Amino acid sequence: MAPFLLRAERLTKVYPDGTVALHGVDLEVRPGEVLGLLGENGAGKTTLTKILSGLLPPTSGRLLTPAGPVRFHSPKDALRLGIGMVHQHFALVGTFTALENVALGLGGMSLPALRERLEALIAETGLHVPLDVPVEQLAVGERQRVEILKVLARNVNLLILDEPTSVLTPVETAELFKFLRALREKGKAVVFITHKLKEALAITDRIVVLRRGRVAGEVETARTSAAELARLMVGAEAGGRGSSVELATETPAVAREARAAAEPALVVEDLRVRADTGELAVRGLSFALYPGEILGIAGVEGNGQTELVEALCGLRPIESGRVLLLGRPVAGRSPLELYRLGLAHIPEDRWKHGLILSFTVMENAIFGLQRERAFRGPGGLLRRRAALAHAARLVRDFQIQAAGLHAPARSLSGGNQQKLIVGRELAKDPKVIVAAQPTRGLDIGAAQFIRELLLKLREEGRAILLVSADLDEVLALADRVAFMYEGAFVGVARPAELTPEAIGLLMGGVKAGAR
Amino acid sequence: MSRLGQGLRPLVESLIAGLIGLGVGALIMWAWGYNPWPAYRVLFQESFGSTYGLAGALANATPLILTALAFAIGARAGLFIIGAEGMMYMGALAAVAASLPRLPAGLHPLVSLALAALAGLLWGLIPALLRAFRGVHEVISTIMFNWLAHFLAFYLVANVLVDPVRAEKTISVARTARLPLLLRGTDLSLGIGVAVGCALLAYLWLWHTVSGYEVRAAGANPEAARYAGVAPRATVLGVFAVAGALAGLAGAVEAMGRPPTYAVYSGLTNLAGFGFDGIGVAMIGRNHPLGILPAAVFYGGLQAGARLMQMWAKVPFEVVRAVQGVIVLALALPELLRILRRLGLLRRVRRHA
Repeated sequence: MAPFLLRAERLTKVYPDGTVALHGVDLEVRPGEVLGLLGENGAGKTTLTKILSGLLPPTSGRLLTPAGPVRFHSPKDALRLGIGMVHQHFALVGTFTALENVALGLGGMSLPALRERLEALIAETGLHVPLDVPVEQLAVGERQRVEILKVLARNVNLLILDEPTSVLTPVETAELFKFLRALREKGKAVVFITHKLKEALAITDRIVVLRRGRVAGEVETARTSAAELARLMVGAEAGGRGSSVELATETPAVAREARAAAEPALVVEDLRVRADTGELAVRGLSFALYPGEILGIAGVEGNGQTELVEALCGLRPIESGRVLLLGRPVAGRSPLELYRLGLAHIPEDRWKHGLILSFTVMENAIFGLQRERAFRGPGGLLRRRAALAHAARLVRDFQIQAAGLHAPARSLSGGNQQKLIVGRELAKDPKVIVAAQPTRGLDIGAAQFIRELLLKLREEGRAILLVSADLDEVLALADRVAFMYEGAFVGVARPAELTPEAIGLLMGGVKAGAR
Repeated sequence: MSRLGQGLRPLVESLIAGLIGLGVGALIMWAWGYNPWPAYRVLFQESFGSTYGLAGALANATPLILTALAFAIGARAGLFIIGAEGMMYMGALAAVAASLPRLPAGLHPLVSLALAALAGLLWGLIPALLRAFRGVHEVISTIMFNWLAHFLAFYLVANVLVDPVRAEKTISVARTARLPLLLRGTDLSLGIGVAVGCALLAYLWLWHTVSGYEVRAAGANPEAARYAGVAPRATVLGVFAVAGALAGLAGAVEAMGRPPTYAVYSGLTNLAGFGFDGIGVAMIGRNHPLGILPAAVFYGGLQAGARLMQMWAKVPFEVVRAVQGVIVLALALPELLRILRRLGLLRRVRRHA
């Protein structure tokens, strides 16, 4: 038997809401290796690592160390056995220095002694970090090093990194890889989570691919290719696959002809948008969206989709480039002005932008429309009767299950909340609809309702931009699919023309033909 | 649930909270060896059971309704304005100062009230601008402005508006500017009409106008409100202005409608506390203008009843205060928790998404 540091056997995780995140996953981590964990959104990567690091208990299955089976009650237990994790979102106190942040978790060690130890550790690993500057003044890459030092200071043998490169510049990524190789030389193990094929191939020794909570395959990095990984990641059935989304995707001839004649409804030219961190999240994107068409944007989340949608809808400033909505520039206009030009937005986060949970169904039905003539009477009085009639119409037309028009939105199910948002946005009679993750978290019935609605809107000649992390949904609904990777499109194609391998490669950021 | 049913729920919640408060208060009295039964009987009979008692409760409630509205409107907009105390001092002194010129009887009270509202509004201007343009948290700035108002008011009472004959108070409000008493022999003045009118207007504003809708939206979900076209800065400035004006009026009704002196005493003894008590009243009334009305009357009655409990039931003042505190706390707790949670001071238990 090969020596191992940690072994997971038949791990299954069922969340309280019934989601099965892992189905009987086996995994072994050996000393002196970098193990890649590859998969799409929702494949179970994060759940698996949370179990390995003691953050979540498995529903069934067990963890083994060379000393025998173990049970973690908290990340502390895992750390005691030399297993540490660095999360995608850092847990640092911004006003503390790197030294103080490391000291926080250690407890009982004097700062001078810790400084000595950290300086030795930095010399040994090459993870250069200024120890006496508040971490809020450090670059993201440096903060990540502080997180890694925090874990290493506890004599960790197995380091788990969750999407560590998603926040790093290419230079920082190269430095991280150098450090990981050095760690491997010392006989330590690294579990490296990523959805980027190139990185998985560059740094790992062995790759385990997860798909929908199961191990889809395990390969030696030296003997695999991007194409094979892509196939494993997306599954053989991708493309014209017997997917969970079954809808008529044939575009009627009428619509196609209409499109050929029409002007594009939305034009994006060389668009650049910054993320909250100041990094460029959208890097020179160009496309045109036509009336009577659904353009799908697929891709692993965090590749700039959110920033793109926010920029299109007036919620985020445009750094450079041009966006024309029905021939008029979008830059500098507020969401309200854009809606008056003919844009509707089904927001990605329904609780953040979509509705107000403590407001009633009626109040939410006119949200964003409150200043319209129809609802604003003389003297700024709210026309409650008109608002009630409008809400009643939405409830009827969109089959919203609510205890009444005065029930708070909080009391509605997620699906009915979403129908309320969608109904309200469509009541604006928009020419262009930007739908971001429109079916996320919905039950099958509600998701189906909304998908069919999107198709109907297309038939009516409206232009729809569908941004979704649900690959099946995009492939089933869209007339054209664009794959977004690190802020740019790596390929645009009709769904029928895509092979599973091509889809996997595009999702993983490998440009078509660039293999 | 029907609309009525939803309106009743907070009422039922408050009743239960009140009963719990009374129960704990009774336990406190019992533990210190006093009989709670006669004490409570005196409290309720004398405060609410007689015309004079009720008039006293209403008179006490008058400034509280206005300071509570000031807090509640802020809270509805997501602002934690605890500056009503200072704004109220400024309003009271403005109302006193308005008695310096001679004006006809019909006009004088209106001018005085308007000046008081303006003084309260202006006192909130700097914290409002700091919040809107520099993001300075209103809790900090309004606390600081309360102290500024405190000492400025001390100075004005002792040096500027001082009564030439009686140095312990300001000049009295002119007879032409006083709010008429509604019931001879009591403190109940037309000020209660001003307060109730303001509560009704506040209700109409928040629930029956578009701008009130936007204020509540900004308070419940600022991000979404921005998306729906609500201007965050304008909301902050507008809400501060309304809150300041209401708190200013609270000081005015006290100065213009409280016999026998119709003045502000040095040390602000006849004003101090209304601003802070208003926060408690607002919470008992669930930050709802119509909920504030009964809450303020209850609170006002409790204050009047304290003396009587001491006199008739022989419960020492300290114990009475403790009992009152428990009752108010029990009533305010549900809303207090909600506000703390919204401010992020309490961690919400998050369900796994």
